[in-house]
Amino acid sequence: MGPLSRETWAQRLGAFRASPSAFMAGPEGEGLGSDLLSDLRSEKLSEHTKVSLLTLTLEFPAQLWPDAPAAEAAASSLLDTLVLLPPRPSALRRPLLLAATTALAAGGALGPTSGASGRLLPLLLGLASGRDLGRGFGPASEQHLLQATACECLRELESCKPGLLGGCLGLLRGLLRHEGPVQPLSLLLALVLRNTLEVQARAGASLQGLLVASNSPTGDGHSPWDWTLAGEGDAHLQAQAPSWPAAEEGGRGLAALEPSPEETRELRAVVAQLLDASYLLTPVAQAQLLWLLGWALRGRRGQPPALFKPQLVRLLGTAQLALLHAVLALKAAFGEAMFTTQDEALLLRRLALAAQHPALPPPAHLFYLHCLLSFPENWPLGPTGEEAAPLLLGPQQCRGLLPSLLHDPLSLLARLHLLCLLSAENEEEEEGQVQSPRRYLEELLGGLRQMSALEGGPRALATLCFQASYLVVRCLAGHPTVLTPLTHGLAQLYQARPALAPHFVDFLDRVGPELGKPLKGMLREQVVSREGGDGALRWHLQMLATVVDRDAQSATLRFLRAAAAHCTDWSLEQALLRVCRALLWAGGGDGLVDFLQELAGQLEDPDGRDHARLYYILLAHLAGPKLGVALGPSLAAPALTSSLVAENQDFATALTVQAALPPLRLSVGPRGAEGPGPVLQLQLEAQEPLYSLELRFRVEGQLYAPLGAVHVPYLCPGRPRLLRLPLQPRRPAPTRLDVRALYTTPAGLTCHAQLPPLPVDFANLFLPFPRPPGGTGPGFFEELWASCLPQGAESRVWCPLGPQGLEALVSRHLEPFVVAAQPPASYSVAIRLPPASRLLLRLEAAQADGVPVALRTDDWAVLPLAGDYLRGLSAAV
Amino acid sequence: MAQRAVWLISHEPGTPLCGIVRFSRRYPTVEKRAKVFNGATYVPIPEDGPFLKALLFKLRLLDGDTDFVESRDGCSRINKTSVYGLPVESEEIWPVVAFLKNGIIYACVPLVEQTLSPCPPLISISGISQGFELLFGLQDFLYSGQKNEAELNTKLNQLPDLLLHSCPFGTLLDANLQNTLDGVNFASVSQPQKQPAWKVGAYKGKPQVSISITEKVKSMQYDKRDIADMWQVVGVVTCKVPVPPILGFYQMKEEEVQLKVTVNLKLHESVKNNFEFCEAHIPFYNRGPITHLEYKVSFGQLEIFREKSLLIWIIGQKFPKSMEINLSGTVTFGAKTHEKQPFDQICIGGTAYVKLHFRILDYTLTGCYADQHSVQVFAPGKPKISTHRKLISSDYYIWNSKAPAPVAYGSLLL
Repeated sequence: MGPLSRETWAQRLGAFRASPSAFMAGPEGEGLGSDLLSDLRSEKLSEHTKVSLLTLTLEFPAQLWPDAPAAEAAASSLLDTLVLLPPRPSALRRPLLLAATTALAAGGALGPTSGASGRLLPLLLGLASGRDLGRGFGPASEQHLLQATACECLRELESCKPGLLGGCLGLLRGLLRHEGPVQPLSLLLALVLRNTLEVQARAGASLQGLLVASNSPTGDGHSPWDWTLAGEGDAHLQAQAPSWPAAEEGGRGLAALEPSPEETRELRAVVAQLLDASYLLTPVAQAQLLWLLGWALRGRRGQPPALFKPQLVRLLGTAQLALLHAVLALKAAFGEAMFTTQDEALLLRRLALAAQHPALPPPAHLFYLHCLLSFPENWPLGPTGEEAAPLLLGPQQCRGLLPSLLHDPLSLLARLHLLCLLSAENEEEEEGQVQSPRRYLEELLGGLRQMSALEGGPRALATLCFQASYLVVRCLAGHPTVLTPLTHGLAQLYQARPALAPHFVDFLDRVGPELGKPLKGMLREQVVSREGGDGALRWHLQMLATVVDRDAQSATLRFLRAAAAHCTDWSLEQALLRVCRALLWAGGGDGLVDFLQELAGQLEDPDGRDHARLYYILLAHLAGPKLGVALGPSLAAPALTSSLVAENQDFATALTVQAALPPLRLSVGPRGAEGPGPVLQLQLEAQEPLYSLELRFRVEGQLYAPLGAVHVPYLCPGRPRLLRLPLQPRRPAPTRLDVRALYTTPAGLTCHAQLPPLPVDFANLFLPFPRPPGGTGPGFFEELWASCLPQGAESRVWCPLGPQGLEALVSRHLEPFVVAAQPPASYSVAIRLPPASRLLLRLEAAQADGVPVALRTDDWAVLPLAGDYLRGLSAAV
Repeated sequence: MAQRAVWLISHEPGTPLCGIVRFSRRYPTVEKRAKVFNGATYVPIPEDGPFLKALLFKLRLLDGDTDFVESRDGCSRINKTSVYGLPVESEEIWPVVAFLKNGIIYACVPLVEQTLSPCPPLISISGISQGFELLFGLQDFLYSGQKNEAELNTKLNQLPDLLLHSCPFGTLLDANLQNTLDGVNFASVSQPQKQPAWKVGAYKGKPQVSISITEKVKSMQYDKRDIADMWQVVGVVTCKVPVPPILGFYQMKEEEVQLKVTVNLKLHESVKNNFEFCEAHIPFYNRGPITHLEYKVSFGQLEIFREKSLLIWIIGQKFPKSMEINLSGTVTFGAKTHEKQPFDQICIGGTAYVKLHFRILDYTLTGCYADQHSVQVFAPGKPKISTHRKLISSDYYIWNSKAPAPVAYGSLLL
């Protein structure tokens, strides 16, 4: 087939876009990919048309070239087209580069054995480094654009194959320092740096001087891309969860091996280089750079977040959404090591203002409000991952953020959530206040109900009313002063507009008994006190099927009898029968038997009559509990049809490993004898005799080296056993151990059980310092104290004291680690944290209710853990 | 921080699908990463047709869509941001960033670099803010200087090419698309080194600096003892404000078939009595057309929009010497025909308001101004410096004091 005309292509592309799957399944689908590639070289088509063809390949490579060989062939063809372009300016070079990159990366063809990859990579590196690639690559005027494009392509390849360009770090640094385009090179360098650190850490390798190597893109016969680093398939993509504390369960922050001082210095230099030039980037690109560098440095030894500090002066005041978000990400990653309390208060103030600033679009307001409620605080009070009002966010700042009926539904719900959180906090303070948040909340909900009671009003209003009520119930479930008026208000709403029954049914399904029970009672009373014949019968029946129970059965039956006369079509009859079914399930009753018998004769539809008869028979013949099971929501397992099957089942039971509830209890015991590393003392207690017990431990988050299984030949109830579990931390951080038990019961069944996770506390990792030849003492401590800075970090924490005072606290918790002391006034504590960190505490001048603690560490990541530990000490006594 | 796909959809009520996909772009390399990162929770990007349907349904933009549907109307399906989960073919695609502005729905799906179950908090997903920036950028580009459908089409046609430059692989390079457009045309000139990416080319015109301060004043006035009036001024500089510029009350009473209306407005003596314009809008919701009106105004003119059930009191450029003006009258309404007269869910019965619209140039309530002699510019050349300021009303309501009114946030004393 010869080249198609512009119009034919336009038509074809339009048809394809309308539904790619339908088009590819049709007769024209087969040749599309190859036609497209060949017509790119046609001289009859304009460049504009060719660009639109290339745009299609950028979006739908998987449809055009469904497997890796086809993608490889397509990429080769695109590269050929690129090389064959005449040396005049052309709009095609850029999209051709993008298309070849997309075909390889999306088609799964990128790899060491791919010929096209072997052609594309040197080409991109050559362009990116601004070298003259000969006249085939167009006039000099296009070079800047192509250089930037090549960087973008490399960035995409590196994103899809992390580690691929690890060998180019030195080259990219050099380019950025000299003449290259700042933004594309900065982003590429940051990404490669992040990926390389990650991949190297996982492989346990060092940066191996990659940062300083200045290899040329081809030259010395040694290629700068490295398929071994990039790994097989998508292996490296899997572990890269963003470094947000709440999302940080998996293998993030793997400890790199101790970097050499030179590497540490170079890494610091390259990060500083990137940050110094960052103001030249567009705001969105700056945000990307900050996320990448934050990821790269989080939890990395010898890289204090102080590197970011000079930028913060500029960034804390930003009005750009993406940039502010990136600052919050840094905040989440580094906490108080980078942001002071003042910074935190400033950020909160800015967020509170941005969430209502009239110059910003409403979706931005809502996102800022979300950021406010999910704000990464230095010292959060509640559990992480749950929305809460930050401690430093005062009521004054919230004034402009409260909901009113004039807001759109999204804003109203977002602001209502804030109001609920404030109301929950302010409970004690507001007793007796007339204008309290609680009362305001009540008025707001009342307004919403009034709006949704409007006959013929839009569904959206009713939805908003119920969503708001649900939000309030969820946040303030334990506050009867809120729930009581809400219950009454909702009951009145039903009275005004029974057509909202589906909302009520859904609402009752979701809320807990503290609201659900009284509301059900009120709604039932309302429905059964009616005549039964009004236009809302359908809704009443739907409502009743949800709210009936044993109470007030006679009134319910009276209503149903009256209603039955008005059930003139199949759907109403079914609605009536659903109420009967609910009554049966709730426990039947005498009157119900008669009523069902009446229905079996009276209903017009034969289906309805049969149904009523079935219920009548069930009620007449089954005892209460069986009736409940027969009508219950879950279907019972089908009955066995023969004794043979039953017997076989018994055999199978005896021969398979059964999942069981744990018949033993495992707990962390008192601190035991010292060894070379931390050891967890476990106490094991069985509730029944167990044989051949095997306990398997798995460390969550790969923070420690894998743990071996523990075997116990026999465990008998009433005689607890003590076990020693040596730990090998890769990072000094607390974790939880996933525990499974495999054992045999006295009956001979083999069972396995999942035990509750076992917490390993920060203090479980503490080890004393080995005694120096000259003995410990103030001199030894001062030496350790001085050695922590400048690499490490210093902080001061207030450690609350219980009634026992400082001496008791130290002897109970810190005794083994005290290296110098003047009891009861001052203590110097030195703690070794495996694998290679230290934590030094100076406790002195205790006051009535607490003691100020100065602490230093050579690993800033330990700071928040140490702070938590100290603050929790008095409670732990 | 990349996007998997982006769409622009025009909302067209009355047509069979209620909307048309005007532009869409997918990013297959990002999609490939999504498949790996999301693992078992991965849901592929749907084709345009099913996506359009699911999105319009979620945003309640389908015609005649009034039934209760749990996946959208359920009380626990709470959306507090412009980020949605869309049910498509028994699966749910999340997170979809979407909003409607000027009849166009802007939507994109950011990449989430982890599993989607449990749903990670939005704040932890870098692609969310990048997605917002992309959509805001598209919106700014489409609506800057655009006046009609033809111009909108021209701009939409430029988009494939523009995104090829500003977002070639789904990772946004510059949210300012106009900048990109200029950059594409500018590319032939060789650029000086270390050019900021947010500034395309060197500025060739006369250097000048313009500083303008715009304040917007909001007010809610109730004329009630137990509810505090509220006013709020926001602008480039946020300051404390002593008074609302115009104080007033509104009384409306239903007397048999007609409404009795009294409005009184008073300009505060400290406020500059020189408006660019000043109007009071008096709408009557959930009623029929105005059939009869008798009125008296102490100042200005009254315009009557009978079909729209609206009165506009044009006060003009100045308040009279007394600084106080009033309007009183009776209004009679015809039978309600649902199509023409405005419907409102708040203004039911006696609940009603007067809304003020005004603008005062060269004035701010806070007294905030920029002194053009004090502006320092750290750059070569002497730019011309100009300063402007103005006060604009925004959500300035005076509620009927004879009926309940929705209480606004300011009247709550925390």
